[in-house]
Amino acid sequence: MRRSAAVASALVALLQAPGAFAAEHPGRSQIEKDGYKGPSTCEECHPGKAKEFLGTVHWKHASKVDNVDNLDPKQEYGMKNRIYTMCNGNDIVNNLKEIPKNADGKSKFTGCNTCHPGNHLNDVGSTGPEAEAAVDCLVCHSTEYDFRQRKPYKDEQGRVVMGQDRSTKAALAIGKPTVKNCMTCHETAGGGVLVKRGFSFTKDTDAHAAKGMVCVDCHQAKDHRIPTGFDPNNWANDDLRVSCDGCHGEKPHKSADYNRHTAKIACQTCHIPRTGGAVAKDFTVWEKGGDGFYEPTTLKKDANETVPVYAWYNHTVRNEPHFIGPKGSRKDGKSKIYPFKIYMGKAFYDAKSGKLLSMDFAPPMANGDTRAGVESAARTLGMKDPAAVAKAAVPGWQTIYFGSNHLVTKSKALNCVNCHGVNGVLDFRDLGYSAAEVKKLTNPELYFKQLIEKQKEEW
Amino acid sequence: MKKALAVVVAVVQLAMCLVALSGVARADETKMVGVITKIDLAGKDAKTATVVLKDVKTEELVEIVVEDDLTLDKFKDHRIVDGDEIRCKYEVKDGKKLSTYFRKTAGC
Repeated sequence: MRRSAAVASALVALLQAPGAFAAEHPGRSQIEKDGYKGPSTCEECHPGKAKEFLGTVHWKHASKVDNVDNLDPKQEYGMKNRIYTMCNGNDIVNNLKEIPKNADGKSKFTGCNTCHPGNHLNDVGSTGPEAEAAVDCLVCHSTEYDFRQRKPYKDEQGRVVMGQDRSTKAALAIGKPTVKNCMTCHETAGGGVLVKRGFSFTKDTDAHAAKGMVCVDCHQAKDHRIPTGFDPNNWANDDLRVSCDGCHGEKPHKSADYNRHTAKIACQTCHIPRTGGAVAKDFTVWEKGGDGFYEPTTLKKDANETVPVYAWYNHTVRNEPHFIGPKGSRKDGKSKIYPFKIYMGKAFYDAKSGKLLSMDFAPPMANGDTRAGVESAARTLGMKDPAAVAKAAVPGWQTIYFGSNHLVTKSKALNCVNCHGVNGVLDFRDLGYSAAEVKKLTNPELYFKQLIEKQKEEW
Repeated sequence: MKKALAVVVAVVQLAMCLVALSGVARADETKMVGVITKIDLAGKDAKTATVVLKDVKTEELVEIVVEDDLTLDKFKDHRIVDGDEIRCKYEVKDGKKLSTYFRKTAGC
């Protein structure tokens, strides 16, 4: 009986293992026979999907945003048009193009919208039949995509086109997006591998990856709209949200003491004790690389190499020229304590308005002239006298709080002492507690008996 | 006699230090930035690749062995190709320079 139960549970486990018996995507013989012709091939079985995709953040790089200060609720915001200091450029001012030649006489293609899943002729936010036909379905859905094909080039009319792999081989390897599909773009955002968010999604760095889960197991798409969390710096959203309690519920622990914490402490606070990625960047001074091109000076750390800061957060965001970060307090009844990756970026500010200016990366990438980049961006945005704006621009720092929602751990999660010890990671005073409360919160009386019992169990 | 013993002890201590230090040196990671001039990958299911990097500082050609799956996958689907600039760390094991960190310097 025991043996048959074991066999049955093993079979169930195998069936549940991602990809263990991955079903072949229907329509294989048709694709083999006709070849892959782009979205029209997909639409034979999935009608309307290309048009549907054009309405998502992945295509528009923007959406209306209702939880961030100082934004126009009628406008859309995102990579398309935001100005901040992790990127400082955006799709508009730093559009994909061939940059001027550097001192070695070399040029290259670069731009913020390099990752956009179109062909650049039909670019960020474009609509209509041509845009639908330009969607690069396979870059997200194929495991055999040949990235040699996805390179920018100039067509006969001198227009910059982003190539795509539309081979039958790639089309025959389609399915639900894998971690690789997502990370192809998301791991290199912000100017390099693990620079922006600083997390890798591998079995060594994330408890969910260790279970064989993939990105879209949590970020479960609905009609190509992808649910996201409330990262204070990630504004654009598809109006769908994801959170830990969607799977784990509000009482995820065996311990009632731990479960009591979930009302005020976000899951991430204990289960994501480390962060990573860029700590600081200077867009006013670019460094020359070995290839003769310049890049913003960047102080980088790897995944799990830095520690977060903790703050109350009610999912609304303070957005000012020198600060982007969480709003909330101990007493507003909506906030929880969350961990954040803190980052500081230096860039140019407008001398008259004090607002942060954006940058076209083409000039500084070629010759390090960052003010020329500011001038070009000001011209693209239609600002009055771009040369004067760039000349008078004032360097300054902006602090940004990034959400810390990956690098999840169970085995290395914070326990009672990590927070309630006198040298714990939470600064209770800074979080709004009185001296008397801090004394109580950091007294072993709170956790001593519980941890002694746990110690006995462990040894 | 005491003096001779002291000399022997000093020599032994020195030898132990040298052994310890050489051990540390072997385990040390070397860091470099280089441009890929060649990638040798034995087929789709290859578990190892040999990459030649041209050191941007010294222009020396350095042969690196890559074994981690994530990087191998990037060679296989050509997300990393000849001409890419790489930030690399490696350890020397059995005379081979084994990659412990292999990332493109450029981003979006």
